[in-house]
Amino acid sequence: MITLGKAINMGLRRALTEDPKVLVMGEDVGKLGGVFRVTENLQSEFGEDRIIDTPLAESGILGTAIGLALRGYRPVCEIQFDGFVYPAFDQITSQLAKMHARSLGTLKLPVVVRIPYGGGIGAVEHHSESNETYFAHTAGLRVVTCSNPNDAYWMMQQAIQSDDPVIFFEPKRRYWDKAEVNEEAPSLGLHETRTVQEGSDLTLISYGPTVRTAIEVAAVCAKEGRSVEVMDLRTLSPLDLAPVFESAQKTGRVVILHEAPTFLGLGAEIASQITEECFYSLDAPVLRVGGFNVPYPPARLEEHYLPDLDRTLDAIDRAFAF
Amino acid sequence: MKNDLWATLYRGMVRANAWEQQLLRFIEQGLTSGFYHAGRGQEAVAVGACAAVRDDDYLLYDHRGLGQAIAKGIPLDRLYGDFLTRETGTTRGLGAGIVHIAWPELGILGQSGTLGGAFPIASGAALAAQMRGSDQVVICFFGEGAANRGTFLEAANVASLWKLPVIWLCENNGWSVSVSFEASSATANIADRASAYNMPGVIVDGMDVVAVHEVVVAAVARARAGEGPTLIEAKTYRFRGHYEGDPQTYREDEELEMWKKKDPIVLHEKRLLENGYSEAELGAIRNEVAEEIAVAADRALAAPKPPMERVFEGVLA
Ligand SMILES: Cc1ncc(C[n+]2csc(CCOP(=O)(O)OP(=O)(O)O)c2C)c(N)n1
Repeated sequence: MITLGKAINMGLRRALTEDPKVLVMGEDVGKLGGVFRVTENLQSEFGEDRIIDTPLAESGILGTAIGLALRGYRPVCEIQFDGFVYPAFDQITSQLAKMHARSLGTLKLPVVVRIPYGGGIGAVEHHSESNETYFAHTAGLRVVTCSNPNDAYWMMQQAIQSDDPVIFFEPKRRYWDKAEVNEEAPSLGLHETRTVQEGSDLTLISYGPTVRTAIEVAAVCAKEGRSVEVMDLRTLSPLDLAPVFESAQKTGRVVILHEAPTFLGLGAEIASQITEECFYSLDAPVLRVGGFNVPYPPARLEEHYLPDLDRTLDAIDRAFAF
Repeated sequence: MKNDLWATLYRGMVRANAWEQQLLRFIEQGLTSGFYHAGRGQEAVAVGACAAVRDDDYLLYDHRGLGQAIAKGIPLDRLYGDFLTRETGTTRGLGAGIVHIAWPELGILGQSGTLGGAFPIASGAALAAQMRGSDQVVICFFGEGAANRGTFLEAANVASLWKLPVIWLCENNGWSVSVSFEASSATANIADRASAYNMPGVIVDGMDVVAVHEVVVAAVARARAGEGPTLIEAKTYRFRGHYEGDPQTYREDEELEMWKKKDPIVLHEKRLLENGYSEAELGAIRNEVAEEIAVAADRALAAPKPPMERVFEGVLA
């Protein structure tokens, strides 16, 4: 059994071993191994030239990575916490996302940006945000998130192999979740949605930190005689919605659960696409459960904010009430 | 010879430290989170500098300790209220670990959790003072790590260009989490960067509260006179981890021990004793502060917690 954080570390180690062009850079990633120890021991193994402790300057980290990528390297940048990606926003959205298209495909940007995201660890402002939508909304970026150690291990390697920039969201409150990792072969590609468990009455879609919540919800529903199909999106841009449509057509009821605010969150896009594709199969409107449209509250109040079992069960009740 | 200002500075440092010691007890008791970044060791910078400005001067502080806000005069129980998530907190309960206090009556405009975000804001507040024709100044605290943000260039350039009344006060404590100053700076001192923006750069012993006070007094006078900003670099050290619970594997014990010999409170105490103060007088100051802290802590603990609705309040004007 391996923790999700350790699985990312193993994925990074394997990529660094297999390709000498892979680099890791960010604040405190070297000597310390990152504030969450995700890059632990990589510097002692691969050296200071490949595992680079940068100054505190996110725009600089991203821009430098872009320059490296343009000349053949594959940098993996760590942003220490979700809220600290904004200083790098221009480099990511105006440069990283657009240079391939701008150069008519002659420039390749194989940069991975790792972002520990989401709340639930008792942190303070800037340390608990779910800001994936900003990046999913920007064409030219691939955006993914893992929910379990096996995916973490494989998706990290697949992201590094991608010739496009990948924003890699890591569910920080699940860093310590343990599960088996199959080191032989990946079960899915980087941009594939997974059906976590099958069901026939309602489809519960989630990704990242709330997949575990969704599995817990399904277990409670099973006791109440409701069969819930749980789906883990894994890829947020591009979306892989074919399996979702299939599921919606089968169950006729869909609830989408994510930590980010529901207002203009990914759930809104997914609900819209499901409505367009599956209108005649639906028995209820597609419902969303997510964060409120307020700044993420600090530790002592976050239990009120995080979409949890109760709020999801409540949405499911509403879906069945139609 | 006795010096009232020196005694005031002593009391200020004792207050900042005692306030923090009580907060650390709250953290140990699980009443607030360990995300707090302790300021132990750096009291002389906050206290020496804030004693050089008026109540109506502006302050942009940073995440290291609460010394600056305490020195500026925020009621101590209100600060505890933030950490303990109480109605009486300055944010009415939205604190915990790092508090984003704004207290305009005392000129406290806040901090930027995304470090470096405060630099241009400091220039803007200073421009407002200049435009209104007031002689207020802005004091902007930051670490040597945050100094590497590009926003410093943007803000320092206009501050100098427009002769804005800003005191850039860098607390160089040698470490940005696990990364040493030497491993992250092209210049041997942060103050060396001042010449690039055509402003004075001053290095001061950040463990000496009187020395800090004097250089800030000079920078404030320059700013009030309309001569523009000054970059002050206070060489100091953080005695505790980056956050509470930090295993601190990245630095040597000897380095910490060496700096602990320069404890700003102990050094200043010695100076006072050599200059006519008695142990009893200093003890009386410490006792008064301890009493003040105990009262503040009790008052904060007795206050109610905010209801869930607090999360939805105050998002828009
Ligand atoms: C833009 C941004 N990036 C990263 C962080 C995370 N972080 C918080 S404190 C810190 C180190 C800051 O070092 P320094 O400015 O020297 O202040 P010190 O902590 O030493 O007092 C880092 C990297 C942050 N708060 N903001």
